[in-house]
Amino acid sequence: MVEELTAKKEREYRLIDRVLGGHHEDFHELIAPYRRGVYLAAYDILQVPADAEEVAQEAFLKAFRGLREFRRESQFATWLFRIAVNEARMRLRRRREVSLESVFPDDEEGGDYTPTMLADWREIPSDALLREETRRFVREAIAALPERYREIITLRDVNGLNIAETAEILGISIGNTKVRLLRARLLLRDLFVERTNRKGKAQSQRGVTP
Amino acid sequence: MKLDCKHIWRELSNYLDGEISEEVRREVEAHVAQCKHCAALLDSTHNVLVLVADERRMELPAGFNARLRERLERELATSKPD
Repeated sequence: MVEELTAKKEREYRLIDRVLGGHHEDFHELIAPYRRGVYLAAYDILQVPADAEEVAQEAFLKAFRGLREFRRESQFATWLFRIAVNEARMRLRRRREVSLESVFPDDEEGGDYTPTMLADWREIPSDALLREETRRFVREAIAALPERYREIITLRDVNGLNIAETAEILGISIGNTKVRLLRARLLLRDLFVERTNRKGKAQSQRGVTP
Repeated sequence: MKLDCKHIWRELSNYLDGEISEEVRREVEAHVAQCKHCAALLDSTHNVLVLVADERRMELPAGFNARLRERLERELATSKPD
């Protein structure tokens, strides 16, 4: 695993050297493994396919233009995702008219946290996990999250980056990353359960109606 | 020390990530074994995260890679990294 990572890193550094040395066409190969992930991150944050595609393109262009700035202390992936998240954020700022920050104040540094969404304790039935509808509920739940929770969910739980990488991309501490991740996941679960319950209720109501 | 429900909620995410000490992990598991509420919360959160990870396979818009390549090619031909 560690050897695999090192090999991947070396391969990327080699490609970066080649691009910087004038072989621009090697940039395609460098970014090929990240096309999907960068798009997904942009999509999860922006929720509009056309915007996500544009932001992904912009991110790769910026990565090319700024390639010399990439310091090899971090992973290329981390650097790339950071550019993508920043691009998505800027797009969102431009788009937004009402600030969500006032609705969800940034209070991560302190305060005793109690999840407020524990009203329904039902487990999610495992047969529900397979249905196409379930996937729609997942997407809706992600879309309903506040922006900074969408960011962390897409990096950590959709793209599978680790805690340290996620922290670096978001520019926050490991501790804050863990706290934010906890809240994001609990809220995501709640939003998902809300949707499955709503559906269950609708079904049982239909059931008693002759 | 025995963990109460509130402690379990706070450790839930770290537990799922394996980011907790062996001692806390055992405490969480002991609690969950006798608290069906926390067990359900843990299971359902885990299930949701499995579904979320599945989003990774979401299809890209048709022609995404080709359009990206085209746009990059224009850039690669006309400029260079700073």
